[in-house]
Amino acid sequence: MEAPPVTVMPVTGGAINMMEYLLQGSVLDQALESLLHRLRGLCDNMEPESFADHELVFLLKGQQGNPFMLRARRSLLHPTAPWHLRYLGQPEVGDKSRHALVRNCVDVAASHSLPEFLNEMGFRMDHEFVAKGQVFRKGAMKVVVSKLLRVLASGNTENTEPLSLSYLVELSVLAPAGQDTVSEDMRSFAEQLKPLLHLEKIDPKRLM
Amino acid sequence: MGVTCVCQVPVAEGKSVQQTVDMLHKKLEQLGAVKQGNFWVDCETYHATGNATGQPSKLLYVMHNSETPLSSMALFEGGPGLTADANFDVLMVKLKSHFQNAKGHKVESRGTRYRYCDFLVKIGTIAMSSSARGISVEVEYCACVIPGDCWNLMKEFMQSFLGSSTPELPTVFTSKAEGLYAPVDCMDTMSQYLELFGKVRKQQVMQGTGVR
Repeated sequence: MEAPPVTVMPVTGGAINMMEYLLQGSVLDQALESLLHRLRGLCDNMEPESFADHELVFLLKGQQGNPFMLRARRSLLHPTAPWHLRYLGQPEVGDKSRHALVRNCVDVAASHSLPEFLNEMGFRMDHEFVAKGQVFRKGAMKVVVSKLLRVLASGNTENTEPLSLSYLVELSVLAPAGQDTVSEDMRSFAEQLKPLLHLEKIDPKRLM
Repeated sequence: MGVTCVCQVPVAEGKSVQQTVDMLHKKLEQLGAVKQGNFWVDCETYHATGNATGQPSKLLYVMHNSETPLSSMALFEGGPGLTADANFDVLMVKLKSHFQNAKGHKVESRGTRYRYCDFLVKIGTIAMSSSARGISVEVEYCACVIPGDCWNLMKEFMQSFLGSSTPELPTVFTSKAEGLYAPVDCMDTMSQYLELFGKVRKQQVMQGTGVR
């Protein structure tokens, strides 16, 4: 019942500017085992963590400009865990020689009233999917191997079908803005996974 | 985390806000309560922009409580609430083209935190634009999470130092579906503060002789 310390630094805009550095690739289902084997060898020595998440993508249509997108994710394996709300900014248009996609990232843990609350704010759910797979770590780098599944009936995560015959692989690092050595480390790690897997910088705008 | 009741205490006749607060502190110390640090609760208002003309803009309140320093609570009046971590404030900055911060509407209550056995009493001065507007008293009974089970005890305790200013059972507990037997969460405390801050804001508009 001691008073918590009342000296927490106030959060002001721009004080915390985390950037996500991202490289993406994919492997066909047949190649999954070899990839997991290679990753177990290259990554930190710990049991890879399995996950099954349900992600909902919400859009807020404003008067002008592009709709504001938020991603809300919850774990199907740990139903009491908080929801994870994520905002990803526009990719930084920097020098082309930068090896990874860099974008501003805000991660918020939220209570279970999140979807209802987002609706009240004016957000509408655009689409949802289920992602199942494993997470590996190497230092600050995170490798996520996931199978994306389409949700057939909205809200029902039991009834799903795979979106493709492959697994999506993402190599990412969350770091404060301005750390350019990060993408170098990512590139050298990605080199070690070739030719099994080609991780590259994929501009999301090209896919729209 | 126990059952919390938040109420407003009127400023004593002929005394200032600070003097009334000091009187309450004295009463608590006479009872045997021990001072245990400070507390603050604040509330920021955001207007939703981009609504069709004629529709009143929805108000989103983002509140913080020193008791849970790493959390931010977001509420709509009479609507759903969200408990999130401190990064929610950073997200609101990103959303500034859709939700504008009404900076002049920030209300906060700051004061001393007292402990008396299983009770936590927080006497705060409510301030808006750095001028004192009232006094808030928060009483938390930490040993119980069901309002129905401990309300009588809390009322008796409050009467010992609030006298006639003792409030009735907060509406946030009576309006719950299961009645008096549902456990509380921190949203209940923040809803009560929100209601109190709303009252204080309106009082200010009435008193101000046309000057905002």
